[in-house]
Amino acid sequence: MVRVTVDPLTRVVGPLRLDTEVDENGIIKEARSSNMIFRGFERIYRGQDPRDSILLSQRICGVCPVAHSISAVNALDELFGVAQSVPKDALVSRNINQGLNTISNHLLHFYILWGPDLANPAYGDVLSTFGDLGGSVWKELLGRFAPISYKIGGEVIPPGSSYVGVIPMKKRLHDAGAVIGGKMPHQTVMYPGGVTNNPTTSDIQTLSSIMSEVIDFLNTNAIRMPFEDWVENTYKASSPKKAVDFLIEHLNDLIENSLKTNDLSRSNGWGDVELYSAFGSELIGERLLGLPISFKHDKMGGYGDLSKVGFLSYGGFYNVDHEGYDPTSPSGERFQTSGFMSSSLEYHKFDSNKVTESVKHAFYDDYDGYKHPYEGTTEPFTDSDRINYQNFSEEKYTWAKAPRYDGIPCEVGPLSRLLIMKEPLVTGLVQMFQENGYSPFNCFTRMIARMQELFIITNEMIKWITTDLDPNGKFRVDIDMSTSRDSRGMGLCEAPRGALGHWLITDSNSKVANYQIVTPSTWNLSPRDGEGVPGPLEQALVGCRISAVDNWLGVDFSNPTGILHVGRSYDPCITCAVHTIDLTGQNPPGTFRLL
Amino acid sequence: MSEGNTNSDSSVNDLDFLRMDWHKFLKARRSGGGFKLLENYKNDTPGDYDFPVTHVLWIQGAQCTGCSESLLDAANPELLKAFEILNIDLERHEAFLAQQGLFVDGEPANTSELNSEILLDEISERGNYILMVEGAIANGPEGSGKYFMSGNRSSKEMFKKAARNADLIIAVGTCAAYGGINSANSDIVDILDYRGVAFTKKDPSKGILKVLGIDKPVINIPGCPPHPDWIIFTLSAIISGNIRIPDDLPEVLDEFGRPKVFFPPDYNVHKDCPRKEFFKNKEFDTCVGGEKCLLKIGCQACLAHADCTLRKWNDGHSYCVQAGSPCIACVEPDFPDNARPLYSSKKCKTGKEADR
Repeated sequence: MVRVTVDPLTRVVGPLRLDTEVDENGIIKEARSSNMIFRGFERIYRGQDPRDSILLSQRICGVCPVAHSISAVNALDELFGVAQSVPKDALVSRNINQGLNTISNHLLHFYILWGPDLANPAYGDVLSTFGDLGGSVWKELLGRFAPISYKIGGEVIPPGSSYVGVIPMKKRLHDAGAVIGGKMPHQTVMYPGGVTNNPTTSDIQTLSSIMSEVIDFLNTNAIRMPFEDWVENTYKASSPKKAVDFLIEHLNDLIENSLKTNDLSRSNGWGDVELYSAFGSELIGERLLGLPISFKHDKMGGYGDLSKVGFLSYGGFYNVDHEGYDPTSPSGERFQTSGFMSSSLEYHKFDSNKVTESVKHAFYDDYDGYKHPYEGTTEPFTDSDRINYQNFSEEKYTWAKAPRYDGIPCEVGPLSRLLIMKEPLVTGLVQMFQENGYSPFNCFTRMIARMQELFIITNEMIKWITTDLDPNGKFRVDIDMSTSRDSRGMGLCEAPRGALGHWLITDSNSKVANYQIVTPSTWNLSPRDGEGVPGPLEQALVGCRISAVDNWLGVDFSNPTGILHVGRSYDPCITCAVHTIDLTGQNPPGTFRLL
Repeated sequence: MSEGNTNSDSSVNDLDFLRMDWHKFLKARRSGGGFKLLENYKNDTPGDYDFPVTHVLWIQGAQCTGCSESLLDAANPELLKAFEILNIDLERHEAFLAQQGLFVDGEPANTSELNSEILLDEISERGNYILMVEGAIANGPEGSGKYFMSGNRSSKEMFKKAARNADLIIAVGTCAAYGGINSANSDIVDILDYRGVAFTKKDPSKGILKVLGIDKPVINIPGCPPHPDWIIFTLSAIISGNIRIPDDLPEVLDEFGRPKVFFPPDYNVHKDCPRKEFFKNKEFDTCVGGEKCLLKIGCQACLAHADCTLRKWNDGHSYCVQAGSPCIACVEPDFPDNARPLYSSKKCKTGKEADR
């Protein structure tokens, strides 16, 4: 066995350590995910005005701050008893804030955090054995995804067009975030009962114009067919099969047009999503389209035992047909519905009481079994000698707790959301992989789901901005401070990276008695639980071949692209993941009742 | 540039980014736009940039990546253009670059082209770079720094390595400058023991540099996050040679290490507030969503030494107060404790300051 450790896994937010044991064939046999930071965040709310969490929670994550402010404000809406009466236009405004941030996050992930791995020199080595076509693919990968300050073998590689192009686009999305939300990162407008500002007609024009730029960007870089045609034939397809057939036919046409010249450029129709869809997957690229080579990302990042994983969504974006919303996010209530999907694609209604956590493998003194976030008690190690993670024999190896839904580790994020909302393209792809003997939930489907969600949210944003947002509408209802005495609130939302929950309880002085946050990355990067079942990312690493293209040129332990791809496919955020804490354990079990 | 050479407001070549008065700076920026200000600076022919390469090593401690996100929002010029003009070589940054920490059987593997930890060692041993720090540095528990580990070392060790041979340290954001949200008051703040680079909150004896016994020139660019202009123009002033490090720093920085041109000691976010007439007439909003003065719902603008009101955020589109939200004075060393509770009137000194 060879010990291969990636520490830190960069191009994520915060320090993440992925530790693996790899056999002589280059296959990962055991994996551990360690979140290496402890900030004690929730403690700063204790004894303070609960409204402070709207602005301060955003400081947990500067990449997806809006999601934290929405979870915080959802918890406050319930705390103040106004969730059912938040005006429709305020919900639209919140959706637009969140939509802009989601688009920005997904673009950042695909182009800056994930993309550079496709320019890893290992791909150059493999592709060089596939003649002119291989050379063309490598030229495109480098030309699009190379990061800044990049060198291969001492040779300076100029930054890729997609990498460079996305920075001004992200800037424009933050400009739009400032128009509707005051500033970005860390917007300022969320408030219980609504939002603090009224957008003007001119604001709406600016937002529309920036959304046109987003569509232009997507059409120039991501997908080289009219944006509307893509949405119409995939997201709005009448069946999952039709959506997949459309994608395959489209890729087939592109390949036929490029066979003789090996011209895989954008001007010849190959957007980034098209290029990745054709060459990222063995099943689609090699078996269905007849290409001689693919990156085989559909053969990594899947789950070996499908009985030990599920898919969870709390429900994303408010339904803006009416005022108010239900803080428990029942099935069908949000634009992206809540739910739990088993790995056999069986849908179950979401029930927040089924969320529990274990600390058996985290740097906290044990409690028995599992606890709901409202009950959260945690005694972290304050003796530095006890904080060790270097050996696989250590029982405790991370600052993240292990959240479970009905006892099951859950993947959260775009793949889960799109499966649960029965999005045709992603559902169809997952079914196709399953029918052909592949793990249906793999690196490839995870990445395609993220990009497909980018298109869906962009499409919906246009409706929210141009149809739903009324500058003469009502943007808030007043709150009565006295209603926050001895109260509680649960704030559920879908951050770009997945299910995000804030749980808040106040005392008789309207001050915070307990505040708990369970973030998407706590789910995805969870350690083993009380039964020793690994978290989703840990499961997804086992069985993965560590070197490029299924160890095509043999095993290179020193360039473990498999670990890099699988780890980054979840879009990890470590600074988010380690906040589910109550350092001094001052609140004994039973202080807080379960909902 | 010499102090006598201040004859014209209009010529960009007369601009002395950090030494000048903030009025003059903003005026010049508005007339030329940031891009022209930089592009034409000391260049007879636009595009003919002659700055020697400046190496930048960027490390992240306990942070949210909001400062890096804000830097990506740079406008006029956009970020990569600014780097090109200033000839900045961003050699290492955990969020944007190719490398990661790679270990095989516990030993560092591969080369600095793919391994971020080997790269860090190579750069820090070579020297000749500006160190930019994002996030607070963990000192806890018990001085071990183990509340933040990365690449088999604590952020304290990582910082020590990176700081030792740096020519200058720029603490980007309130966390790196003063501890920020990581040092917010709570019953566990002393156990956590997060530190800013040269200060923790207002205390210069508690910076991580003091703990490590390292003495380096430091510029603080606070803000949660900082405005990208503040970062880019500070780099411009240094790279253009206007500011000699460390000799000129006492003149251009305030008592908390901030460039006075962006964080003027005699100016604050309240002074040019579009809602100021309401303040003068003592008309105050008591709940959000109104158009009057926000002082009674927590606004800390009069204690916030920054130019947000005139500069505005995100390419001039808006800022906190314009969006109906109270200023929380995120550029101040004691943020966020200074501004809490965020949505309630702070009776003590706020009103007095505003009246000044």
